[in-house]
Amino acid sequence: MNTLTDRYLAATLRSVPTQRRDEIANELRASIEDMIDDRTGGGADPAAAEREVLTELGNPDVLAARYADRRLQLIGPTYYLLWLRLLKLLLSFIPALVGTVVTVVEAAEGKGFGAIGPGVVAAMQVAVQIAFWLTLTFAILERTQTAVDVPEWTVDQLPDAPVRRGIPLADTIASVIMLVLTIAYLPLQHYHSWVRGTDGENIPILDPALWSFWLPALIVVLAASAVVEIVKYRIAHWTWTIFGIRAVLSLAFAVPLMWLALSDRLLNPALGERFSWLAEADNRDSLGLAIAVGAAAIVVWDLVDTAVKTRRQTA
Amino acid sequence: MVSEDVLRTHLQELRRGTVVVASLVALRRPDYGYALLQRLSDHGFPVDANTLYPLLRRLEDQGLLTSEWNTEESRPRKFYRTSDEGESMLNRLLDDLAAVQTSITGLIQGVDR
Repeated sequence: MNTLTDRYLAATLRSVPTQRRDEIANELRASIEDMIDDRTGGGADPAAAEREVLTELGNPDVLAARYADRRLQLIGPTYYLLWLRLLKLLLSFIPALVGTVVTVVEAAEGKGFGAIGPGVVAAMQVAVQIAFWLTLTFAILERTQTAVDVPEWTVDQLPDAPVRRGIPLADTIASVIMLVLTIAYLPLQHYHSWVRGTDGENIPILDPALWSFWLPALIVVLAASAVVEIVKYRIAHWTWTIFGIRAVLSLAFAVPLMWLALSDRLLNPALGERFSWLAEADNRDSLGLAIAVGAAAIVVWDLVDTAVKTRRQTA
Repeated sequence: MVSEDVLRTHLQELRRGTVVVASLVALRRPDYGYALLQRLSDHGFPVDANTLYPLLRRLEDQGLLTSEWNTEESRPRKFYRTSDEGESMLNRLLDDLAAVQTSITGLIQGVDR
């Protein structure tokens, strides 16, 4: 005896708690037979009626879950948000941490750039492990219906609303990076200017004599400008004090630069040996003038721009 | 025009709780699963068999229904009946259903409670 009804009952009862299995089986069988009888009484073919009734009852796993009051979800609304928060938290730093440690260890063993591969693989494996074990833990919690004290939400947990900053972080970062690169360029051009003399030695772009005072002074001004940019970001908006300090620093950089350019002390005289065009005094004066005018234009534009911003944000 | 799916979802939501009320009322007179299904259906409470049968068991587990096997007829059937506990809970549910109806009527007519 292996009718569709028998198979349906077996499939349903498979996942129903044992102690009630027989009773549910008897009742369900009677109900199915009642439903079939009702249809055959109306003149339907018994086999077709059986098929129709079982189709109406639907997937036996769903029916069994309803009998057992079992949840058809891996992690339900009770734990979902907690699960998601923990998952994000753990994935946000553990894989990166493990990956970095593995990369450093491999690099210490002399693998060089080859150390990156094992680091990435380790990070990915850790991420998969975290996701699996965390999800498994919550799926078990969901099924055992253990009462876990999920902390009640309170208004104190509300994060600060994002403040509209007058000074975007991206602007600050860009300014600081520009200043740092400029500072770095000054010593770099001295040792490695990519301009080579006739016998292959390095020719600095700027006059090495300037290192006695002017170049260190300009580096100090640039470093001070970088500090002002960071302070400005922390204050989060323009003030006239910041504008004033920044204007003084701009001029402290631009005015010496212009003066050195105009008095032909900026560029390395040795460049004239390499580029014959620079050997002529007239040409050097023209170049100095161009540099001075360019610097002046940038400073004026910067002063106007920041004055407008300050005026708008202090109004 | 409201989509059929949205309408069906809302009707389902609206009807969900009433199946329990209707079953408790109907089972003041003892009956077995399929006969109850038909009676509910005749009285305008169409219920799916795969919803009703597990529901009856759950209500029994909660002590709102009592059951008894009847073996006198051609096939043994489990008869359910609303228990005293079920009756008192039913009264609470009926009161609430009436209160919902009153509130809705009041809201429609714009009368303050």
